[in-house]
Amino acid sequence: AELHLIGQIVGASGFPSSSLFCKWGIHTGSAWKLLSGLREGQTQVDHPQLGDVAYWSHPIDVHFATKGLQGWPKLHVQVWHQDPFGRRELYGYGFCHVPCSPGWHALACVTWQPLGSWQERLSQLFVGGGPQLLNSDLIYTGADRYRLQTVAAGTVHLELGVLLRHFARYGVEC
Amino acid sequence: MNSLLLQTRNSRIAMKMRGVCLPPVPSTSRTSFAEFSVRERMREKLKAARVRIFFFMQSEDESRQMQEDESQMSSRVKFRDSVKKLKQKSHVQTDFPSAEEAYNFFTFNFDLEPENMKDETKSKKKSESNQEEEEGKEQESIDEEDCLVNDREDLFIMDQMACDFLVVKPADYKSYSERLQKEREILFTPSILTVPMSQKVPENMQPRYLEDEGLYTGERPIVSLSNQNILENRMLRQEQGKRWFGDDGKLLALPSPIKQSSTRPPIFSLEEGIEPELETLYRKAMKPMHANQYIVGSGDPQGQFQLDIDISGLIFTHHPCFSREHVLAAKLAQLYDQYLARRQQNLTKLLTDKLHALRNAVQSSLDNSGTNFKFIHIYIYRQTRRLRDAEQEKDRTLLKTIIKVWKEMKSLRDFQKFTNTPMKLYLRKEEVDQRSDKKIYEAEIQAEINELLEEYMEEYEKKMEEYKTELQEWKSWKKAQKTKKKKKIKQSQDQEEEEAENSEYGEEPVKPIPPKLADSLEVEQQVREKAINIRRKPGEPVLIPELSLTESVTPNDLCPRAEVLRREDVKKRSVFLKILFNTKEVSRTITRQISSDFRVHFGQIFNLKIFNWPESLKLQIYETVGFSSTNLLAEMFIPVPETTVLTGRARTEEIEFSSNQRVMLDHEGVGSGVPFSFEADGSNKITLMTSGKVSNSVSWAIGENGVPLIPLVSQQKTGIPSALKNIDAVASIGTSGLTDMKKLAKWAAETKLDPNDPKNADLMQLIMVATSGDACVPGFFRLEQLQQEFNFALDEELNRSKRFQLLQLRHREVAEFRNYKQVPLLEREITEKLFENYEKRLHERDVIDSKDHLDAHRALVAKYLQKVRESVINRFLTAKHHFLLSDLVNEEEVPSLGNLGLSLFKLAEPKRPLKPRRKERKKVTAQKLSDGDINLLVNIIRAYDIPVRKPVLSKLQQPSRSSRSFNEMFAASPSPQSPTHSIDWTFNQVLVHPFVEVSFQRTVCRTTTAEGPNPNWNEELELPFRAPNGDYSTTSLQSVKDEVFINIFDEVLYDVLEDDCERGSGIHTRIERHWLGSVRIPFSTIYFQTRIDGTFKIDIPPVLLGYSKEKNLGNERGYDSVRSPSEGSYITVFITIEPQLIPGDPVREKLYYLLKFDTQEDEKLLQAAEKYQAECALKFPSRQCLTTVVDINGKTVFITRYIKPLNPPQELLNGHPNNSQAAAELVARYVSLIPFLPDSVSFAGICDLWSTSDQFLDLLAGDEEEHAVLLCNYFLSMGKKAWLIIGNSIPEGTTAYVLTWEQNQYVIWNPSNGRCYGQFDTFCPLQSVGCLISFDNIWFNIQQYDSPVRINFDISKPKFWKSFFSQSLPYPGLSSVQPEELIYQHIDKAAALELQGRIEKILKEKIMEWRPRHLTRWNRYCTSTLRHFLPLLEQFQGKAVEEDHQAELQKQLGDYRVSGFPIHMPFSEVKPLIEAVHSTGVHTIDVSNAEFALAVYVHAYPKNVLSVWIYIASLVRNR
Repeated sequence: AELHLIGQIVGASGFPSSSLFCKWGIHTGSAWKLLSGLREGQTQVDHPQLGDVAYWSHPIDVHFATKGLQGWPKLHVQVWHQDPFGRRELYGYGFCHVPCSPGWHALACVTWQPLGSWQERLSQLFVGGGPQLLNSDLIYTGADRYRLQTVAAGTVHLELGVLLRHFARYGVEC
Repeated sequence: MNSLLLQTRNSRIAMKMRGVCLPPVPSTSRTSFAEFSVRERMREKLKAARVRIFFFMQSEDESRQMQEDESQMSSRVKFRDSVKKLKQKSHVQTDFPSAEEAYNFFTFNFDLEPENMKDETKSKKKSESNQEEEEGKEQESIDEEDCLVNDREDLFIMDQMACDFLVVKPADYKSYSERLQKEREILFTPSILTVPMSQKVPENMQPRYLEDEGLYTGERPIVSLSNQNILENRMLRQEQGKRWFGDDGKLLALPSPIKQSSTRPPIFSLEEGIEPELETLYRKAMKPMHANQYIVGSGDPQGQFQLDIDISGLIFTHHPCFSREHVLAAKLAQLYDQYLARRQQNLTKLLTDKLHALRNAVQSSLDNSGTNFKFIHIYIYRQTRRLRDAEQEKDRTLLKTIIKVWKEMKSLRDFQKFTNTPMKLYLRKEEVDQRSDKKIYEAEIQAEINELLEEYMEEYEKKMEEYKTELQEWKSWKKAQKTKKKKKIKQSQDQEEEEAENSEYGEEPVKPIPPKLADSLEVEQQVREKAINIRRKPGEPVLIPELSLTESVTPNDLCPRAEVLRREDVKKRSVFLKILFNTKEVSRTITRQISSDFRVHFGQIFNLKIFNWPESLKLQIYETVGFSSTNLLAEMFIPVPETTVLTGRARTEEIEFSSNQRVMLDHEGVGSGVPFSFEADGSNKITLMTSGKVSNSVSWAIGENGVPLIPLVSQQKTGIPSALKNIDAVASIGTSGLTDMKKLAKWAAETKLDPNDPKNADLMQLIMVATSGDACVPGFFRLEQLQQEFNFALDEELNRSKRFQLLQLRHREVAEFRNYKQVPLLEREITEKLFENYEKRLHERDVIDSKDHLDAHRALVAKYLQKVRESVINRFLTAKHHFLLSDLVNEEEVPSLGNLGLSLFKLAEPKRPLKPRRKERKKVTAQKLSDGDINLLVNIIRAYDIPVRKPVLSKLQQPSRSSRSFNEMFAASPSPQSPTHSIDWTFNQVLVHPFVEVSFQRTVCRTTTAEGPNPNWNEELELPFRAPNGDYSTTSLQSVKDEVFINIFDEVLYDVLEDDCERGSGIHTRIERHWLGSVRIPFSTIYFQTRIDGTFKIDIPPVLLGYSKEKNLGNERGYDSVRSPSEGSYITVFITIEPQLIPGDPVREKLYYLLKFDTQEDEKLLQAAEKYQAECALKFPSRQCLTTVVDINGKTVFITRYIKPLNPPQELLNGHPNNSQAAAELVARYVSLIPFLPDSVSFAGICDLWSTSDQFLDLLAGDEEEHAVLLCNYFLSMGKKAWLIIGNSIPEGTTAYVLTWEQNQYVIWNPSNGRCYGQFDTFCPLQSVGCLISFDNIWFNIQQYDSPVRINFDISKPKFWKSFFSQSLPYPGLSSVQPEELIYQHIDKAAALELQGRIEKILKEKIMEWRPRHLTRWNRYCTSTLRHFLPLLEQFQGKAVEEDHQAELQKQLGDYRVSGFPIHMPFSEVKPLIEAVHSTGVHTIDVSNAEFALAVYVHAYPKNVLSVWIYIASLVRNR
């Protein structure tokens, strides 16, 4: 069966500052095989002059083949901020499942940011930077995440067109 | 009476109603007074008063609800009125109501009458009344009751007071004791005392405990005992209270619903330790260093990691030096270990207990329920019994073998009369009470017999059942058979039918056999036999073996010689271990001697500081014997510890090893891999291999601050999802533990896993299987354990899919599929053919195919080049994905003030329409192009000195040379070449009608025909360009290999009229075209140069039959001196691409940057080079300056290292021993014969790769640079002063030439065709000079002009030339990258000859192929003549042979009109040869009687450099 994702990372809103860029990736289980397209990438930095929504309109075009439903693709994003000095700091992690019904979907992926100790927060306030996950798998592997202390960050907006093929042949109705 | 009563009543009601309606007005009532009697009146009065009071009271407290009440009233009123009306009517008519009226009275549905409403409820709103009316009916009855109540007068006695109704009482109180008493009567308080068991269990029953019987009961919720007792007591009070109790006398309860772990996430404070994988790291906001960090690699500098390896010791379980006794001792020790392990497990006891419990349970259930439960019990019971029997048997055999081995050992010791090992086995006897033991034994056996009998009974019954049914069937079948037979007998007439039916009954059911009943005696026999085998006999003492090391070893001097030798050998041997980390040795233990008991103690701990993720950890055991060399005994892999295994917590583990080396020893030692026997006669041979155990432990170290020095899991290649870790077993013992069953079992034991819990069933079974070692355990652990079950397609299915394959190949940008568009949607639409090429290429990557190349060496080189090219392309593909800002953002430059001013100034400039200028065109990025968008514009302007036709008759012609000789050039003034023109020359001059044909990608365009040897066309030709695969990316455009052929033809008209008489009336001519010469320009040059504008020398073959190069001096005398240097023919063209394409320069730069880091040059030198280059570029941005180049390995090399005197082939020098000029020309020719292969084509325009001269000669293909370097090196070795010129030329673009100093004159050599030019030769293709390079310096041209004609080549003048090495930076004496000496193979003449034949054959076939509609005749005579000429041509390098040649041909083929020419090419492949022949168009002649001649000559030069001459001619017989 095949799954073809065509869409874009539209942008992000609700972050404290809006000169943002985004690293993204698609995580799949072992049953999935990449046929073509890029699994991960990074958008440009958008400095919106008007409004607080950063628009990237970054294209996503990935084609998977799968032999099972397990490990349905997850899209994970990291939103980074580029400050006026050209330094970058993390603003949020987030992930969302790729919709499993065919068609066009507008997704909003909410993000979070690890909360540091008060010292870290203090230095974050003045000199930037911030706590980051050592192990970025944690963004989408669910088991341990609940033990992190996090702060809600903004939302990443995605538009995905999902094309499914031959799922019905294997008895998957969608 | 009746009516009266009715009436009064009615009236009373009416009265009341009126009163209600208008309470304070008495007048209405007054009107009716007259109608009644006095008494009645009195009564009425009283009533009215009462009513009034009533109303008064009511109105007071109901004032709030007035509205409601009013409406209520009104509805009542209405109803009453209607009744009253009816009554009055009936009263008037008759005293008695008629039947109808009576009926109406009782049944009339008192609907509202509109008139009534008007009458009575004028003041009310209609809607209100309507609503209320419905309620009215319902309330009627209540009203009437009210009325009745009103009749009781005593309730309304006016003078009663409140005190009459109230009574004051004290607070009611019951004494406490009283209350208790009462409560006791009502309430039941269950006691907190424990309920005796007998009450909870049904009568006459013992409680049974399911858990003891081996059933899973689950965990009961925790309730305090007192609460439990209270509940039990209460339950028992209830009816059928006992059904709340289970068989075990406890309350029935579900397993505890309380979860062990809290569902709600615990709240962590940051001060507490965080799990390592959850840790976050505070990172400063940082400037990005590299752009390649995506989400995966976190890419920060990792700290150090440390792995601690503790090697405590080594024990051999077998060693070549083992004596026989040692072998036995080892075996004994092993068995004893096994015994100990079994005893610790004590399975037999466990199972026996279980069996007992089950037996009880079965019996009790037999008494009681006797349902399914029983069957389950019985089943489990039998199962358990079988298991127990098996275990018992194992125990017994183990004991037996231990004793047997011990006995063998004892006998061996006796036999050899000495003792080697301190092993000693004691057998401790435990006496038992014989009688009780026997009793138990008997009981056991009896029980078993009974059970077995029962089992057999059951089976018998079952079988009997089956038998019966079968018998029934059989009987019925029999019956049917009989009846049929009877019928048949009656009918029996048709034989055939009968037969057929008989065959039908062929399969006759067998008569079932009744089953046998089991014999009890037999069973008993069986059971007893088994018991003897597997169990201790009754009364036999219990034997407990004990192993000790107390035996004294016989000292050496008491032993026989062989044994002494053995012991000495053991002493000589020593062992050490090597530790290999990622297959690299990191450390080794000290060498230790093997002790006499074959144990080695090391006790060393190694701390490995690691940077790489540990791929493998390996131990190697080495053994040394005496002082001889060490030999590798065995290797073993240690698992890399889990990240949770830290130093201090790691357990020592024993890893077994074994080696398969054969060792034979000449003493008592048994050797290894050698069969030996314990028996005297040598039977029962055993072969043992060296084996043993190493006890070690590996763990991760803990840093100073308690942080484990463990690399991140994500760095691991096979990362285990961290999610799994915290769930359960996997986390606590690590994933590797899952494969290690012992560990798993241990964990299970430690956590007190309930073996009966169905949740753990899988795990327990696995452990059981693993520890008992019966079944094989899969040697792997699946991470996504259910993946396979849920897969709906197999891997093969995915792999087989052609569509997927195609998509993936396209994605990977494999050459064949790089720009494949539109992958078909359906599998069947993809043909196998698509993959054929690709698979063929994969397949043939290493197979050398000599078909295309005709030459094994060249085929090899081609393969090699292909490989280099592939690897470079792969590198390039990765580099392509690195984008620079300029790749993505197209920023228009902001016009500076200066620019602006300049353009303003230009506006004011006078317009000069007669001097048009080329405007800068807009550049087009290649991405949105498609087929047909790109055109190649070729502007043919003019040509000079085209060869002219030679009249056939004129025999005396001045010999003319197509190329000037070397000597001639150096003559101080051009030799007076004024030919001795005969008078008739001017008259006989035959004009030439040249036209130009441009062919590109097999599209052909031609100009009109011009006249004369100096034609002027000025025509623009447009040729469409098609990129390969429709890929218009820069990469693919750069790698386009097509060439533009500009061919010059002469158009010849032949009169073909046969008859002179017709000449007056008609013209019948045939047009023929004769090839004169060509210019070839590769597309890549055009692409990189964006436009090519200049005059090119036409490649004219040395001999053109029927044509001669004439000096047209007669006509243009005035220009004599100017024209004279021009020798040969020239054409002026302008070529460009429309629209203008941007050459892929950024890519080159990027790759250059990538490659730049890789160098062996001195840092200082590189810096100086960069500085120098920058300075030069600042002054003259357009001039080439080269200091460093990239060699074939991708390393940066300083350019002067390439220049070094190198010996040319001796054969060339020998040819002209005295004439250095001739030798130089020959050498230049030799260099030019090496095929030309621009880097930009082979490496897709990535960069210039410079190969050294020996590599160049090996590859036999190279760029201008390689040619130039080689030529320069040759000249240097020949004692000339030579430099490399880097500059621009036409058509190559940036290129390298060679400059020499000869006879007070600078000579410029073009290395790619071997021609040389004087400095002041205007037709020199070199247009500009950037820099000069010698073996020790670089000079950059800082003169005003860069054209070679206008510059001074004197490098000693710093005003003109800026040198790289100067006094401030002296030449450091760089070593050359060139070899010391070039070695040349000898000429292989035979191979050349063979090649010659093959080429000729191929070309002939090709020509025939190109003329599909005509017969191609070969003139053998002519061919053989031509063949003779070719070696001559080679010898004279195509000079000065024309005339003889022509004459010869003329003589031999007198009556043929011959047109033809020799083509000369360096040989690389066949394809260019074919292409060259095709481009001449000889085959296009379509005269029916044309004949052809083709001769090929291959001249071999040293080092397999081949010069190919192809002589092709067409012959037409003259009439």
